[in-house]
Amino acid sequence: MLQQSVRLALLSITRNKLRSFLTLLGIIIGVAAVIAMLTIGSGVREKMHADITALGSNQVFVSAGYRFEPGSPPRDAARPLASEDYRMLARRLVDVQATAAVARKSLRAIFGPNSTQVSAVGVTQDYLRIRNWKVTRGRAPTRAEMESGAGVCLIAPAVSKALFGSDSPLSARIRIGQMTCTVIGLLAAKGGSLFTDEDNTVVLPLEAYQTRIAGNRHVESIVLTARPGIMTARIKREAEAAFRQIRRIAPGQDDDFQAEDMTEIIKFTTDTISTFTALLGAIAGISLLVGGIGIMNITLVSVTERTREIGIRMAIGARQGNILSQFLVEASILSLIGGLLGIGLGLAIAWGATLLIGIPFVPSIFAILCLSGVSMMIGVVFGFFPALHGARLDPIEALRHE
Amino acid sequence: MNAVLDTAPLIRFEQVWKTYGEGDMRVDALAGVSLSVESGEFVAIMGPSGSGKSTTLNIIGCLDAPTSGTHRFLGDDAGALDRGRRAGLRNMHIGFVFQGYNLLPRTTALENVELPLVYRGIKARERRERAAQALAEVGLSGREHHTPAQLSGGQQQRVAIARAIVSKPTLLIADEPTGNLDTRRGHEILELLTGLNRQQGLSIVMVTHEPDIAAFAQREIGFVDGCIAYDRARAGVS
Ligand SMILES: Nc1ncnc2c1ncn2[C@@H]1O[C@H](COP(=O)(O)OP(=O)(O)OP(=O)(O)O)[C@@H](O)[C@H]1O
Ligand SMILES: [Mg+2]
Repeated sequence: MLQQSVRLALLSITRNKLRSFLTLLGIIIGVAAVIAMLTIGSGVREKMHADITALGSNQVFVSAGYRFEPGSPPRDAARPLASEDYRMLARRLVDVQATAAVARKSLRAIFGPNSTQVSAVGVTQDYLRIRNWKVTRGRAPTRAEMESGAGVCLIAPAVSKALFGSDSPLSARIRIGQMTCTVIGLLAAKGGSLFTDEDNTVVLPLEAYQTRIAGNRHVESIVLTARPGIMTARIKREAEAAFRQIRRIAPGQDDDFQAEDMTEIIKFTTDTISTFTALLGAIAGISLLVGGIGIMNITLVSVTERTREIGIRMAIGARQGNILSQFLVEASILSLIGGLLGIGLGLAIAWGATLLIGIPFVPSIFAILCLSGVSMMIGVVFGFFPALHGARLDPIEALRHE
Repeated sequence: MNAVLDTAPLIRFEQVWKTYGEGDMRVDALAGVSLSVESGEFVAIMGPSGSGKSTTLNIIGCLDAPTSGTHRFLGDDAGALDRGRRAGLRNMHIGFVFQGYNLLPRTTALENVELPLVYRGIKARERRERAAQALAEVGLSGREHHTPAQLSGGQQQRVAIARAIVSKPTLLIADEPTGNLDTRRGHEILELLTGLNRQQGLSIVMVTHEPDIAAFAQREIGFVDGCIAYDRARAGVS
């Protein structure tokens, strides 16, 4: 019985391929949106997890700015952090393993006729170690070069390729904005992460960056790493207390700086993804509703077209339930086909997107099964009323129908 | 079922009325028809167009119920049953043959004949065997996998007869079964029906316009304006 219904349904669907396809667009788009969203979402999460692990989860970041709340002053209204703040903070904290200060700016790097846009980053001594960033050729700056602000720099692979092609960049002098520096080392490839693309980085001593590029003593952020066994939350608390004193913030006044540990950054990113997901989910929901109405419509058309057939079936002994289930099976198979097409399209979109933004492609079997089930349910739910209409036809009227 | 079964006629109409429309539009398709048909009879219903022949047949076939009066089938008050039970009666006891064949298009002869068995919940293998056998009985062996479009009118009507008898019904109902066929094919169909009636004791009620077709039956009922005008056994047959 069911087998017969399925065969009949497939027959009537394939007989009207174009019509069936157009009917299914809503469901295809809706399901594709959900699948793409879920697949990209889990790729982002996986990538984020990997990035954060690579970055080290024992870090606390301090930057200037007020806590983000409705009505709070904008971030750049806060006093910037200064090198002096960093030095005092680094001296006071006892539970930190390493500290670094960072400032950065997007500039053009020029060598002979070649030039490229780079992210010039001024850093203190421990930065590369904290970031676990290796120098593959040449060497890192010495402590003396760091402290004196010598005109030396390290370049990332993309910069080297843009300026020197396959030649060795070592000992070459390049221009970065107003400054000239000697390339002393080549940084390892970091690849793009969700947060930045670091392969176009030029690393300089912070001292040199401040005096020759920024023209001020500001620091964009301070990175602190906890000693093994120390919670980042504790480092964060200590840093906040110390920084209020260093920056002379009166009791009761808001912090004009923010210390964030990795858990907060993870939470922020996750929240952003969730908002995005909810939005896409709403679009997908509307699309599925439209798809369902399409199924309802096509089932009604099918019932009307086959009124005579319904009459014949009733005359030879079909009960209302037989007719009802025949059209329900047809509606749900139709929407299942839509669902499967949507899953295929969604996976294709997700695959393209993950390739484009450089995150892993992680399709979820669970989501695929769920969505197949959901599409079938859409057929059952939206096909029900037209199918019932067909089942309730009067056999004589139906037989007389042309 | 009950003791009545043995003695009750196959079909019994008691003062059956069938009324369509209301007020000025009111039509009495049947105006107090009483009749009975015994098991094993072959009855032809004749009469001018609009005289209520199809209406009578629809009620006999449990497709429809009288507006008033009773329709008994094997002693049971079939007119009082709900739609589901009437569908059950049709499925168990009645086979239909229509003027326009009414086969499902794009469906093979075998599948068309299988259909009543599908609704009886019979397994695919048995269905196929019985359908093939029914097709053989109407002389269509070898045409199992033809679709209606690939068959002539006479052949399509044979498929329809096979479909009507595959479930071994008590009663076969035919509304102008030869209406779309030429005389020769019409007579072939009637020979087939007569054979089923004689050899298997299948009861048949058939509507026709043509006296030569009605001549195959043992009994002829004439309708005029929703009433029975005459009801007679045919000379020479009994
Ligand atoms: N559904 C309906 N609604 C209104 N009137 C109907 C309906 N069905 C039948 N009638 C009327 O009932 C009367 C009897 O119809 P019926 O179909 O039984 O005639 P018939 O004897 O089979 O005629 P024919 O030889 O043309 O097939 C006719 O006057 C017809 O118009
Ligand atoms: Mg008629």
